[in-house]
Amino acid sequence: MIFTQQAALKKSRMDWTLFIAMLVLLTVGTVAIVSSVAILPQQARIVRTHLIALPLALIAFSVGWRLNYQVFQDQWKFVYGLVLLSLAAVLLFGVVDKGARSWFRLPLFSVQPSEFARIGLILVLANYLDKRIAKIQELSVVLGAFLLALPVFFLLIKQPDFSAILITLPIILIMLFAAGANIYHLAIILGYSFISGLLPVLWTLINMNPELLDNTLVNYFFHLSDFGWNTLFFVSGTGVAAYLLWLLSVKLYSNISGVYFAGAAVVIALGFLSGVMVKHQMKEYQQKRLEVFLSPETDPRGAGYNLLQARVAIGSGGIFGRGVFAGTQSRLGFVPERHTDFILAVIGEEMGFWGTALVAGLYVLVLRRIKLAAGLARDRFGYLVNCGIFGMFMVYFFINFGMLLGFIPVMGVPLPLLSYGGSNMVATLMAVGIAQSIYARRYALV
Amino acid sequence: MIDRNISQERLDYLWVFAYAAALVFLLRLVNLQVIMASHYREIAEKNRTQIISQAAPRGRIFTSDDVAMATSKPSFSLIYFPGQLKTNSELDALASGLSRQLTMPFEDLRGTLYKSARRETPVRLAENLSSKTMFALSELKTIYPGVDIIVEARRFYPFGSYLSHLIGYISKMDAREWSVYGKDKKYSMDSRVGKTGLEKMYEKELKGRDGGIYLEVDSRGKLSRILESRKWVPGSDVYLTINSKAQAAAEEGLAKSATGKGAVVALDPRSGAVLALVSMPEYDPNMFVAYQDERDQEKLKNLPEFNVALQGAYPPGSPFKIITSAALLESGKVPTGETFYCPGYYDAGSRVFKCWQKKGHGKTSFLDGLANSCDVYFYNAGLRVGPLNIENMARQFRLGMLTKIPLPEEKEGNVFGPSKRAARKSYWFIGDTLNLAIGQGETLVTPIQMALLMSAVANGGVFYRPYYVDKIVNGEGATLYRGKHAELSRLNFKDSTWSLLRQGLMQVVDEGTGQVAKISGVEVYGKTGTAQNPQGKDHAWFVAYASLPGQPSEVAVSVLVEHGEHGASAAAPIAKAVIEALLKSKLPSKTYAAPVSSVQLGTAAPAGPVPEEGKI
Repeated sequence: MIFTQQAALKKSRMDWTLFIAMLVLLTVGTVAIVSSVAILPQQARIVRTHLIALPLALIAFSVGWRLNYQVFQDQWKFVYGLVLLSLAAVLLFGVVDKGARSWFRLPLFSVQPSEFARIGLILVLANYLDKRIAKIQELSVVLGAFLLALPVFFLLIKQPDFSAILITLPIILIMLFAAGANIYHLAIILGYSFISGLLPVLWTLINMNPELLDNTLVNYFFHLSDFGWNTLFFVSGTGVAAYLLWLLSVKLYSNISGVYFAGAAVVIALGFLSGVMVKHQMKEYQQKRLEVFLSPETDPRGAGYNLLQARVAIGSGGIFGRGVFAGTQSRLGFVPERHTDFILAVIGEEMGFWGTALVAGLYVLVLRRIKLAAGLARDRFGYLVNCGIFGMFMVYFFINFGMLLGFIPVMGVPLPLLSYGGSNMVATLMAVGIAQSIYARRYALV
Repeated sequence: MIDRNISQERLDYLWVFAYAAALVFLLRLVNLQVIMASHYREIAEKNRTQIISQAAPRGRIFTSDDVAMATSKPSFSLIYFPGQLKTNSELDALASGLSRQLTMPFEDLRGTLYKSARRETPVRLAENLSSKTMFALSELKTIYPGVDIIVEARRFYPFGSYLSHLIGYISKMDAREWSVYGKDKKYSMDSRVGKTGLEKMYEKELKGRDGGIYLEVDSRGKLSRILESRKWVPGSDVYLTINSKAQAAAEEGLAKSATGKGAVVALDPRSGAVLALVSMPEYDPNMFVAYQDERDQEKLKNLPEFNVALQGAYPPGSPFKIITSAALLESGKVPTGETFYCPGYYDAGSRVFKCWQKKGHGKTSFLDGLANSCDVYFYNAGLRVGPLNIENMARQFRLGMLTKIPLPEEKEGNVFGPSKRAARKSYWFIGDTLNLAIGQGETLVTPIQMALLMSAVANGGVFYRPYYVDKIVNGEGATLYRGKHAELSRLNFKDSTWSLLRQGLMQVVDEGTGQVAKISGVEVYGKTGTAQNPQGKDHAWFVAYASLPGQPSEVAVSVLVEHGEHGASAAAPIAKAVIEALLKSKLPSKTYAAPVSSVQLGTAAPAGPVPEEGKI
């Protein structure tokens, strides 16, 4: 295996497949952006910004590719410092757009440091995990990783930029998983997130269907969402139940450690409390989005309208599409955020099933090439960095496609390489450049 | 290979997970874009287009002599396009200007304009503008660039109420009709559809394809551009077998009659084609075309939709003697030479039955009896022939049966006789036979049945199903449908029966009760009648057929004047006018000297110009 690959790989310092897939996606994205903004008043500005960002992104790609990625491991403190500094600076000097202070305004365009912070965090985390690989099975390493990310999250919440957090959290989990962290630890974190995420969904569902409250159990459950005695009872009840179960298991001479019972109780209680917090912290538009996801047809002219229209756009494209620059849904403004988060709807409408299948296929190809590069990486740091980049693409792919196709609620998450957004494009291409750098400096070439 | 001290296994798991998710996404995309594509395409199309429809002209309805009974007239509607005029003060000014011209309340107009401007959708402000308003509005157009006038086709009936029972009328759809027609893309919510008569029966053919201005709108409903202006396709024209002159004569005659109520039916004995059909009271179908307010709704409620010609069942009176005569002649039980003495009454033992002529007819033979309508002769003859024979003969003449004219809700009338009594387990008295013989009692007939009876006498016993649609021709001139005569049944009588019957009927007009209907140069065969009406004045009947000498008969007509009292004076002149209208032109001009009918329909036939193209 090594021999044959060695022969083939000696020739290239660049993964051309990945590079071409990336270029095709960029081209498709550019066409879709130009088409979708055609009748918008800010059309000229958007196209201009995109055309400025495109060469900048290619430069970032070259830099990432030419630079030896190992420098990021050596200078991880510098990278980490830069991430924190830029995020702190944007809070001080940034401008507010769409309710979030997350932009640096430059003469020709704006820069969103959170996009770059994500790449920086991947590099820092890869270094952290690389150093502690021997103790990876211990909980301390998992907690340490989150501790490392905590200041970043803190600064992101301050902006606030929830979608950046939404993307970054799963990336950390994926990196921990790929690095070989204890599966139980990850399960605890997942369980906690699941409970704290599921409860608000259930509560919203009950809120939408008040007739469910007739059931006493449902009624009790619903009232748990209010802070108060109910909540306290529930939390202490969980503890008592766990304790009793442990006693029972001891009586039954089982060898299950009490830690598991305590852990489960803590996870449930914490997840529950977080769920209550989330429910109370949710902004109105987020609440609305959740309701729309749960039943998009209830309010076709309101919040459900956007999603419905996006789906109509995709569906109306048919197999061959309505022709580039001929999609009525997107061009006449029925599809919201059509050049950013809903770019796939534009592609679906104008290029049809072949367009969307091509995009999905290219995304799978990109994931595959990054995974391949990870396998060839000359050191563990490179492997872990590629795992992080792989995770990043995977999360974007899942959330953006899933949201448009109706598998998950609408979230403001773009589709990298396709969506309009200069900072995102530059950061994404830099990440691809780093993956190429890892590929170029693979073991076989030393 | 590399000492990384790390297993790649977990990345492989992630990869498999991503790959599986991609497959799920792909399946979902197939579902959305391949399987459901047409569904979503339709929604997308509806999203983006808005149509200002322009009603296509309905097919015209012509008589057999090419006079348009129903046509279309250009009608102008006022449209407001939001865009140039938007501020409230501008709209207020426009509303006040328009309300003066349109005589519509200012508040209504302003409300409509505000709504339209807010939603940025065009709106129809007024329909059926008069030409006077049009001129005033075209001036306004230059001041207010947001308003425009479009042309549409509107139904127009040039002769108002003429033939209204046959043609019917059109109006807006009700919920039930919408559920039927709405499936057809040719219809929109405000389309007019045929409610009764021809307009309803041939709705599919008469309805054209509406044109329209297709506007592309964006997500806020704001006008972005005009996609196309689609021209309408007019509906197919219907040609009737009705003769406009005969129809006019019948309409005029009945309107001028004593009560102005009743029916006239004229058939062509050679085919069953309806030549004239009048039922009074009638209505003006034009009143439903225009904008309907509460007043019209009230009119609609009291609409005289009852078609006397086929729904009104009356005792036949003396014309029934034709049937009694036929029974008499066919059975041979009463020799035609035999006379009965008429003292002016007939003593049936328990009761005395009168002849209409109090002083009596004296010694009466068959031909005299028929010509003078001597009741006593028919009492005697009827008793001799027997009620069963008469009842059977009435059935052979298709009384108590539908004529099957393709119009809804025809009534079948009633035949009574001993067999029907027996079926009802009731008794038959001698008085019943006497009543039966002269067409009083329980027998009920409709005017169209009588016309059909006369046409059978005229053509030697063939009953044709009455029809009134000659052909339907579409816009390209292709004939879609052609009316054909269909035989319902046939009488096989002896030749002597027919000749004696005709001789008797001719004598009625020549020297008997129906002399009013005499036309020089035309052979008119008829029978007067007076149907006793216990509720009020008697109904007047006159049934006739006519032919030019030596030619087969071309018209059979029945006239009923409700409460007209005397068939000879009330009904016969109408029948005469109808026959004249049909046959006078075929006469050699010298022999004809009758006064010309006051009605000159043929020349006053504007086949309403169809507007060329709708324009914004």
